[in-house]
Amino acid sequence: MVAMVLAATLALSLYLPLMSGQLSLATPGFYAIGGYVAAILSTKVIHVTGPYPIPLILGEMILAGAGCGVLAVLIGVPALRLRGVYLALATIAFVEIVRVLSLTVEFTGGAIGIFNIPQPFVTANGIEYLLIALPMLICAALFVYRLERIGVGRALVAIREDELAADAVGINPTRYKVLSFAMGAMLAGAVGALSAHFLNTWNARQGTFDASIAVLAFVLIGGSRSFVGPIVGAMVLTALPEGLRAVAGIGELPVWLATLLRDGRVIIYGLLIVICTLNFPQGLIAPRQPVRKAVKSS
Amino acid sequence: MRQHQTFNPKLRERTVAVVSAAGLLLLAACGAPTAGAPGGSGATSGEPIPICFSVAQTSNTALLGQDQVVGAKIAEKYFNDKGGVNGRPIKLFYEDTAGDENGAINAFQNCINKDKVVGIVGPTLSQQAFAADKIADAAKVPVLGPSNTAAGIPQIGEYVSRVSAPVAVVAPNAVREALKQNANIKNVAVAFAQNDAFSKSETGTFQKTVTETFKLNLVTVQTFQTTDTDFTTQATNLINSKPELIIISGLAADGGNLVKQLRELGYKGLMIGGNGFNTTQVFPVCQAQCDGLIIAQAYAPGLDSAINKDFIAGYDAEKKSKLPPQLTAQAFTAVQVFVDSLKAIDTKTKLSGMQLADIRTALNQQMLLGGKYDTPLGPISFDKEGEINQGKFYVAQVKMTSGTEGNFNIIGTY
Amino acid sequence: MDIGLTFQQLLNGLSIGCVYAIFALGYTLIFSILRIINFAHASVFTLGAYFTYFLIGGKFGFNGLLSNGQLPFALPFLIALVVGAVLAGLVSMAIEQLAFKPLRNRGADPLLTLVSSLGVAIVVVNVIQYLVGAEIYAFPSSVLSGLPAAVNFGNADRAIPIRTIQIVILAVSVVIMIGLTLLVERTRTGKALKAIAEDATVAGLLGINADRLIMATFFLSGFVGGLAGTLVGLSVSIAGPYFGIAFGLKGLAVIVLGGLGSIPGSILGGLLIGLAEAFVPSSAIAIKEAVPFAILFLVLIVRPQGLMGRSLVQKV
Repeated sequence: MVAMVLAATLALSLYLPLMSGQLSLATPGFYAIGGYVAAILSTKVIHVTGPYPIPLILGEMILAGAGCGVLAVLIGVPALRLRGVYLALATIAFVEIVRVLSLTVEFTGGAIGIFNIPQPFVTANGIEYLLIALPMLICAALFVYRLERIGVGRALVAIREDELAADAVGINPTRYKVLSFAMGAMLAGAVGALSAHFLNTWNARQGTFDASIAVLAFVLIGGSRSFVGPIVGAMVLTALPEGLRAVAGIGELPVWLATLLRDGRVIIYGLLIVICTLNFPQGLIAPRQPVRKAVKSS
Repeated sequence: MRQHQTFNPKLRERTVAVVSAAGLLLLAACGAPTAGAPGGSGATSGEPIPICFSVAQTSNTALLGQDQVVGAKIAEKYFNDKGGVNGRPIKLFYEDTAGDENGAINAFQNCINKDKVVGIVGPTLSQQAFAADKIADAAKVPVLGPSNTAAGIPQIGEYVSRVSAPVAVVAPNAVREALKQNANIKNVAVAFAQNDAFSKSETGTFQKTVTETFKLNLVTVQTFQTTDTDFTTQATNLINSKPELIIISGLAADGGNLVKQLRELGYKGLMIGGNGFNTTQVFPVCQAQCDGLIIAQAYAPGLDSAINKDFIAGYDAEKKSKLPPQLTAQAFTAVQVFVDSLKAIDTKTKLSGMQLADIRTALNQQMLLGGKYDTPLGPISFDKEGEINQGKFYVAQVKMTSGTEGNFNIIGTY
Repeated sequence: MDIGLTFQQLLNGLSIGCVYAIFALGYTLIFSILRIINFAHASVFTLGAYFTYFLIGGKFGFNGLLSNGQLPFALPFLIALVVGAVLAGLVSMAIEQLAFKPLRNRGADPLLTLVSSLGVAIVVVNVIQYLVGAEIYAFPSSVLSGLPAAVNFGNADRAIPIRTIQIVILAVSVVIMIGLTLLVERTRTGKALKAIAEDATVAGLLGINADRLIMATFFLSGFVGGLAGTLVGLSVSIAGPYFGIAFGLKGLAVIVLGGLGSIPGSILGGLLIGLAEAFVPSSAIAIKEAVPFAILFLVLIVRPQGLMGRSLVQKV
């Protein structure tokens, strides 16, 4: 459950730059950095006895978000001149550089990473993290929902639809693109900070190319034209392997079917991704607007 | 030609159908009953005793996980054939952790809440253990790590133990054996897989042994990734630093390739492979070039004991080989420790009369009592934190017999 | 600077660079006509190696469904290499039919094909694991029998050894690269491919059967990928079903560095990245993996369309 909510928030962080048409896959890089910020602060800088205070976690999240935001502006200004796949690859390059550096420098603990990150809840079966994760997702979703309806959001969509035209009517594309990129980075950093506590451990395997692609799949399978799409996509894809495991565990199934479901779980997962893509080219949550337009024109 | 599916009014319906189907899956995933067991579960009635075996059966960690599953299957059959726990068989639940932390957390939750097991063997990676073990610890379910070697694992909690010796105790012996074979070793070069937690810990131990224990020169430290295939750059750097001994900490595929490429590029000196090399999987990778490689082992197939012979016979029946990998032996050992401990408890108080929660607690306490277990790894016991006390370690040297077949010849026992 | 060492690192760089280049060509071929990145390419590369291993009579280990499976016959290595690559090409065509064509016919967002090819990659890799397990398979060393393990380019005092298999890969890659370039630049098929890349509709009006050519391109990309997979497998053994995936990311870096859709660009990009990796100083080896991406990042900042890509025309 917590993993689903965290994944949904991460998907939103990729959706934010996508609002202005920027295909950035930097999310796992900022997620990893955010996690390291929280992991290092809570294990090496702050020492608390007993359960770790929740306000401190919120503080770490804000700090991680702010740090990632600043970094995003520094990277974004030169990188956002790139378009489409070129931008995607430049951001993947960023993720990969962060990964190798975190394996190389000492204070991130190398491959083992940082462990025994303090827990705020005594009964650590993890579900209590929803108390922080769910409000974070709701806030982020509300923020994006509002954003889409105010001037800034409209400017972003204008850039996505036609950058030159947007420029012509006085929208500064670079400024808005960097803004949306930085907002995504801040969100990813905050999610990372929370995840570090949730997982109890943080290491270089958290921010990888695979993670970039997974988050992209969340957004595209869910639907990339409204903020609901990424949330639904992330939740469905995160829950799917567990759902398949649960289905395989139902006792009444014939043995061969249960075996297939259990051992071939990941194969079925892959097949479902293909089938989903083929049947829902607009994503699970299809946009409302184009439908109306389409009906009119037909 | 109609280009846009959005015309299709059916699309909406289908969207709804898929979303609700996904919702059902979600419910199935989350709907596992919560912890605690009102008697009558497998553990307390006359049914088989449930134990979880939760390792990586998918993802790229499956290379390690599948060796572990083999060990568990041999153990399940072997101990049930011998009467299980005083007449009651055991049943292993195989919950796949995949290769990541979230997967391990999910698998452990399934073990605890759905399968209602008395104890868990797993997960494969130390990083996964840091994430998942605390959940079992909070639920008061004993966890036995079959392959977690990083420092700090037993300290995660009272209910966390391991049968995999931390690397610090295995590694230095190999250097001692190398010095026996060539007393003129002065310059040592080291290479390790920087993205593998195990190798990263191990190389630290090796480097300390080289510079502090034996006062040798550490001429270069090269790094690689477990996903690398081309090591010519590192091999060239290693050779050009003119060492008499090269120590490699890596896993079978990457480490084996580095060994092969070093030999092909003309390195003639001694080589030590870390504990990650202790599997026959290395043989097909470096083939004839594996010959002479010195390996630090926490398990030696050559150990002369009844239980090890039984284990090897079980492995041979299944796999047509008499050289089980260390991971397989450790997995077998972990299951054995649970079975032996359950037997001891059952002899004192009948398990069938106990609540699940009590069995879990009793199982953990029994292991931490410090009693000896006679396993394929040799005699072992646990200290109060759950750290393994392993009586014997081995240093072996690879002797290739043909193409991809070879042997680990024990050259030292510690 | 030590000339011998420089020369050796140069050859190391070129040979690994060739592997990157030949891998990236599989991406490039498809990108150049369809403007999409085929994530399934890495899994086809892996499959090629497995096919060849099976065809030479290799036995599968015990962890999959085909445990201890073995063909009743064994092909000589060179024939198995070609048949394996053909099979990989056929798989690649099947992927096009099942996962790409339906989306193309609908005019779906090209990004979506990326997700669909990702799904295919997951399926292929896990089917391999389901069938033959995750263990390491290796080609018997007798395949290269008669050849020494390494060739010495230096003299007896100052050895500059290069692994023989690297030289083989280098030679085969060069042949493939020249062949592909000639195919695209000099033949009617190549011209037709270029026409489709330019504008599929107009190409159709000119009587070019786009579907057939696209199929042919997928076959070619799978064939080259499968061939490369076997050769790399020969060099470093097949380290489980994820063996090709490790090249996927580097391959992406190569095609973007070189300029998307450009065959000479991919070759140049591959060689550059290979050389850059080889020349990372010994003391800084820990950051070797980051070097290609740092170069990619910097090059893109200066030249947003990659080294040999056509500059992007902004729509007005």
